[in-house]
Amino acid sequence: MDTSSPAAFVNGGLLRMHVGRKVRTVIQVTRSDAGSVMGKSTDGCQLVVRGSPPAPLTSYVEVIGVAENENSIRAELWTNFGDSFDASNYDQLCQLANGELKHLFL
Amino acid sequence: MQANEFDGNAAFAGGGFMPSQATQTAPDRPSYSSKNSDARCLTPVTVKQLKDLSKVGESGISIDGVDVNNIVLVGVISKIDNAVSDCTFRVDDGTGWVECTKWIHEHVDSVEVDVISVGMYVRVYGQFKSIQSRRPITDFNEIAHHFLECIYVHLYNTKLRPRMTNATDGMTAQPQVANSNSGNHIMGFSHQTNSTNQFSNQYNTDEEQIRGISSMVLQYLRRPACLASEMGVSSDIVARELNVSVDKVRKTLDFLASEGLVYTTTDDHYKFTDA
Repeated sequence: MDTSSPAAFVNGGLLRMHVGRKVRTVIQVTRSDAGSVMGKSTDGCQLVVRGSPPAPLTSYVEVIGVAENENSIRAELWTNFGDSFDASNYDQLCQLANGELKHLFL
Repeated sequence: MQANEFDGNAAFAGGGFMPSQATQTAPDRPSYSSKNSDARCLTPVTVKQLKDLSKVGESGISIDGVDVNNIVLVGVISKIDNAVSDCTFRVDDGTGWVECTKWIHEHVDSVEVDVISVGMYVRVYGQFKSIQSRRPITDFNEIAHHFLECIYVHLYNTKLRPRMTNATDGMTAQPQVANSNSGNHIMGFSHQTNSTNQFSNQYNTDEEQIRGISSMVLQYLRRPACLASEMGVSSDIVARELNVSVDKVRKTLDFLASEGLVYTTTDDHYKFTDA
C-alpha cells in the first residue's frame, strides 16, 4: 500500500492551493488542440490542461496531473467521464475534500 | 439532495452501509437494516483511510470506532498481474494505491478478470485481506458519490454516533449537515433549547444585546399562537412578554426584518416569515 503520491481533488478556485503538486479535477471541454485542452472547471473557471488528450474526447474529462499555476495543469492521466456528469456534486466534493475532511484524502 | 429534508440514514441503510444500531435504544431514530452485527456492514473507504488503519497496527480492524470487515473502494486499475489461480491488481483512488487479490476458483471468476484492464475505473468489494468482486464503472458520478459516502460515514461515526448514546443532549439525531430552517443568519442559535438563560446580562455592546434578544424574539414569534394570528404581534406585547424594553425590541425587530426573518403586517405588528 502506498499513499505517497495522492492527488488532491480540486476545482478552479482550489487549484492555486496546490500549485506544483499532484491534483485531479474534472473539466467540461470547450476547446481541444493537439497539445492542450481548454475547459470549464466544476466551479466555472477556465482551465488549460497541457498534454495529449485521448481521442475521441467526451464532454467531461477527468485529468490527473501536476498543477503548473492557478489555471493550468500538466496532465499525466486522462479519463473520459462521458457526456452527462453532475458537476455541482463533484464541486461540493472538492470543497469538502479540501476542508476539514482533508485527512481522509491527503 | 435537499439541505433540510435529506435523511441520510434512510438513503444509505439499504446497502448495509451504516453500522448497526443494536446497542442504542432511542425510540425516535429512523430504522436501519436488520443486520445486527457490525462486521457484516459494508463501509466505503479511501486508500488513505486504510493506510492510517494499518499504521496503528490493530488486529481487529476498525475505522472511526466502528468495526470494519467488508469495504468498498473505487479507483483506477494501475497494474494487473494475472496468474493461474489468482489475479493481483493495483487500485489507485487518488489518495493512494492498494494491492488487491482476486482468487480464481472457477471459470466465471476468470471471465470477470478478463474484463478488467489497466486504466479502467472499478468499484471493488472485499475484505481488507482479500478481494471478492469488482466491476467496471460506466457512470462516473459513482466516483464522486463514493468519496462523498466515505465522508458521510466518517462524519456519522465520529460526530453523531457518540452523541446518540448521550440521552441528555437534547439534539435531534438526524445526520444532516445543515439543519437550520430559518436561514443561517442566527449566529450560534440553537433551535432545540427553550431556555432564555442562554442570553444573560453579560453582553456589553448594543449589537450583542440585539443578537441576544433577537433569538428570544424569534422564539416568541414562532409560537403557534403568534403564527396563527394573521395580524401578527405588536412590539409592545413582545416587549411585555419578554420583559425587555420596547425600544430594544423595536431595534431587534428592525434588524430581523432587514434579515428577512420577520415582516410587518400593519403598523408595528410583526410576524415570523417562515410560517
